[in-house]
Amino acid sequence: MSGIEEGACLDGEPGNAGLREGAGRTTAPTYTTSSGIPLSAHYGPGDVPDDHWLKVTAPPGQAPFTRGAYPEMYRSKPWRIFQLSGFGNPEDERERIRFLLEHGETGFLMEHDRMTADHLYDVDHPEVVARRDDVGLTGAVILSVDDYETVLDGIDIASTYAHAGGAVVQHAPFANACYWTVARRRGIDLRRLAGTGQSDFNLTYLGCINKVQVPPRDGLRFNLDLIEHCTRYLPKWVPVSIAAYNAADTGLNAFEELGALMANAAEYLDGIRQRSKLEVADVAHGVGGVNLRTSMDFFEDIAKLRAARSMWERLLRERYGVTDERARRLRIHVVTAGSAMTYSQPLNNIARGTLMGLAAVLGGAQSLGVSGYDEAITIPSEHAHQMSVRIQQILAHEANLTAVADPLGGSWLVESLTAQLEERAWEFFELIQREGGYVATLDSGWLHQRASAGASLAMDQVENGDRILVGVNAYQDDVSPFEVEGFEGTTDAWDRAMTRLAALRRERDSRAAASALRTLEGACRSGVNIMGPMLDAVEARVTVGEIGEVFRTVFGNWDVPIVF
Amino acid sequence: MSDEPARILMAKTSLDGHWRGVTIVERALREAHFEVIVLGMATAEEIVRAAVDEEVDLVGLNLGGRSAVVERIVAELRAQGSDAPVMVGGVITPQTKKRLESSGIAVFPPGSSLEDIVATARRLCEHSAEMKHEAQ
Repeated sequence: MSGIEEGACLDGEPGNAGLREGAGRTTAPTYTTSSGIPLSAHYGPGDVPDDHWLKVTAPPGQAPFTRGAYPEMYRSKPWRIFQLSGFGNPEDERERIRFLLEHGETGFLMEHDRMTADHLYDVDHPEVVARRDDVGLTGAVILSVDDYETVLDGIDIASTYAHAGGAVVQHAPFANACYWTVARRRGIDLRRLAGTGQSDFNLTYLGCINKVQVPPRDGLRFNLDLIEHCTRYLPKWVPVSIAAYNAADTGLNAFEELGALMANAAEYLDGIRQRSKLEVADVAHGVGGVNLRTSMDFFEDIAKLRAARSMWERLLRERYGVTDERARRLRIHVVTAGSAMTYSQPLNNIARGTLMGLAAVLGGAQSLGVSGYDEAITIPSEHAHQMSVRIQQILAHEANLTAVADPLGGSWLVESLTAQLEERAWEFFELIQREGGYVATLDSGWLHQRASAGASLAMDQVENGDRILVGVNAYQDDVSPFEVEGFEGTTDAWDRAMTRLAALRRERDSRAAASALRTLEGACRSGVNIMGPMLDAVEARVTVGEIGEVFRTVFGNWDVPIVF
Repeated sequence: MSDEPARILMAKTSLDGHWRGVTIVERALREAHFEVIVLGMATAEEIVRAAVDEEVDLVGLNLGGRSAVVERIVAELRAQGSDAPVMVGGVITPQTKKRLESSGIAVFPPGSSLEDIVATARRLCEHSAEMKHEAQ
């Protein structure tokens, strides 16, 4: 009998066959969700609180939306197949995006080079020059609006939903402005342009902290400027998309992810209310497109998506008095947990991606990105990317999953978990408020400590063998091993970007560029909405590094609360 | 090996600011009674300078980008008279892992056990201490 069969047929207590020496459970098993909610052996009507039953008598598409954002869900609105993509030169990114769209992707996400985009450095900045090999590995190098033109060439942006890049807060105003400029030049009515730049605090200030970036309070001002600008001029654009995913993949558990999401949103909506130029109801749609994570706790992840909708509806109704029911509807983009993907036995990740994608579908996601099976090894190869799309297509077409909305609604287990997650998430939300609010918990490092504790706990569970990961701490020895060669991307991105940069500086009207940068700096200092001057600067062909110089001069650098 | 705790320099070679992995490794090393100096995101030159100045027994690199920097750092350490061994963690392709291991560098991709990392650090630091002792 092989180790796999032996391990799998045991009931509850995992066997030690196939486990690494020293691994294996050291204590009696306790049954909980990954966030620590105790699990009974079976569930019944008594496990669901009465007030929760009341909520779920409302069908999908009606407040509080626990059961779904839309009445017919995937019958009328199939989820968007939406994969992160990009590397190398602008042309490389364009080819990969076109490849994905040709194979059935229904929206696209632009990934930019982490060093130049996230840090707002030009390619000749000393910090970049010192690491020139790395340039273009995590996304395309985009210096100016010219490079946006190159990436988007031949892509129908009028009718394809896009993530324009700008996941990092200080990059978002520039990234959005570049994308909108390309659209405007093509004669597209910006009032009809759909997409997002994301501009996510959880990535920027919690999970992936740049060496240099504007402090959170100034980042908050950028996001409020974006919300205001889009509400007026680009009503179909999602100006900010809170990616609680990034909080979760840094270590927050399911109810902490939800609580942090609501606290983050409250920070934006409080800010809008204080500016008193717009009503919260007017901006609700723009803030109500968020990104959650599904990982490897199937039922808890499904319950989490349901709880998120219900919490959002309550937040807008109770805290902000939004009376329009449609304005209290949350739309959810799900990305499957990158951290759940393993380095060893990488094809197993296709099964993990399928399970996590299934949880997103059963939870009622509006769009989905499935991590590549080579996620732990490198950026996705073309094959891994294609596989992520195929997984989604199988979910969409083969297993009859889309005919009925909220198919697990009424399950005693799922309803019980939904109610418990919501309760615990509100407690976490209150905890953040007591710490001074979401931005204060980033400035103080409180949220980082919580994430760090969660990450350590998860690591300990794997290390102790309390949690089995196939191919990692159990069943390591494949009889028939399959190795995936890591995709290396392109290696000429820095050289070619240096050439483009020199040409750009030579060819453009340098006085117009300098003048636009001065106007932008003035707006940064005065408190005027920066998006108007940013659009003018983009039109004057300023570079990403020049924008960075302005921000660094005006706002300085965030004093990061953790050492790593 | 003396009673002094062995000293490890940890640094990130890229400008990728994901910190979850490095802080977990750092914690494990401290719990195993190593002295850990955290340099953060640093260039190859900064990493070598710190390793030499602090006379560390081991250099631990978190790789968030390409890998040629690892060999550059090793060569520069040796050129400056440091025998400190180098170990590497992070997102590393299998082909890179093989290349680095063939030049005697310990590599820990995602999913590596902390126990293995700590045991390797201990072995490399002991070796490093012997080299220092011989040099004296």
